Amino acid sequence: MSVQLNKYFKYGLVILLSTALILFTQQIKLLKDPASTPVEWMTIMGLLTLWLFSMIGVLLSDLMKKTPIKILQEFPMLGWVAVTSLILCMSFDFFVTAIGHVDFLAITTPILTFAGISVVDRLVDLRKTSWKVGIVAVFVFTGTYVGSALLSELGLILAGK
Amino acid sequence: MKRNYVILLVFALIVITAAEMIGTQSLSFGAFSVSLLPLAFAILITMILGLPIARKGFMKKIYSKVNVQFSSKYLIFIMLPLMARYGADVAPQLKEILNVGWVFIAQELGNLGTVLLGLPVALLIGLRREAIGATLGLGREGELAYISEKYTLESKEGQGVLSLYIIGTLFGTIFFSLIAPIMLDVGFRVEALAMASGVGSASMMTASSATLIERVPEMESTILGYAAASQLLTSFLGTFTMVFLAVPLQRFLYNKLTKTKKQPEVPADVRAAE
Repeated sequence: MSVQLNKYFKYGLVILLSTALILFTQQIKLLKDPASTPVEWMTIMGLLTLWLFSMIGVLLSDLMKKTPIKILQEFPMLGWVAVTSLILCMSFDFFVTAIGHVDFLAITTPILTFAGISVVDRLVDLRKTSWKVGIVAVFVFTGTYVGSALLSELGLILAGK
Repeated sequence: MKRNYVILLVFALIVITAAEMIGTQSLSFGAFSVSLLPLAFAILITMILGLPIARKGFMKKIYSKVNVQFSSKYLIFIMLPLMARYGADVAPQLKEILNVGWVFIAQELGNLGTVLLGLPVALLIGLRREAIGATLGLGREGELAYISEKYTLESKEGQGVLSLYIIGTLFGTIFFSLIAPIMLDVGFRVEALAMASGVGSASMMTASSATLIERVPEMESTILGYAAASQLLTSFLGTFTMVFLAVPLQRFLYNKLTKTKKQPEVPADVRAAE
């Protein structure tokens, strides 16, 4: 039990670090462009909400791993957090308002900073991949994006939008 | 140990500050204009400084084993607040999204574009079994698990999917922040591109949708709502699309395209594999 608690304490700290970095980034954005999203009391509430939803999602994801239903077991943690947030935001408008005071782009910069640090040891692996797969990758990425965009465009036209 | 994390944190703060101060930079190529957001600079700076040639002296301390491991182990937790934000973007628009719900489901089939566009190109430049792994999907965790279960990661198919995984991890966000504005200039409507952004990787989706917002700021809530809804749907349906549609389609296309090719290529490939 104490090992379990310890684990969630660690997760909680990391998520808290993440929200603190968002606050920092939003403040820097404000220094660069005074017209960007201001840092207010509601921003803090928004960040706390994001922290809370993340923690609920983590617990939910762990609980679902114990269910016998495969699709629920395999549904990613990131998905559970989004679902938790979706349900709670539909139930209480306050959450939507609070989260709205957190600048969207301020959330993304810290994440990509850590993403960059996390992949540096893979740069060496790049030598093992063939340049041919590199070319294929461009077409694979373009294929999924353009494929979905074409169907969406067509669908929206048919829907009369 | 503790000192290590402090160094990492200070480094992260410096990188964030630098990326934000560079801000959004727009580049124009004829009719197309792309804009690089601070998020793109953040990943570029950290990757370039982490290159083996740059990793000397104090940089070695920043990119220590513990710090790199910390970043990759906890990256998913660092991303969670972003996912929580997406819920708030979908909630107010859920009714509107459900109104065109079938469009969201239909565009999931667009993910088969990896096979339709990727496989012919892969075969054309001479890939064979690697092509199976490299074009089944976006090469994220789902495809990695499927291919490793069916062929193992040491096989040619496995090498294909692993290579795609590495390339996607390193360059995926940059790629999607470039293709989104280009498609906008081609003439696609922003709602369609927002839906298409839900490709199945959270960071690629974020790169694409954030760049769209930069270009069409007044549509921010729609873009985020559509992209997040489509991403959620991909998380639910992605495995099914892969197993029941992408795999058979890929097998059919592969056989069709390789059969018309002259015979000697097959033995040559088998010899190379041995």
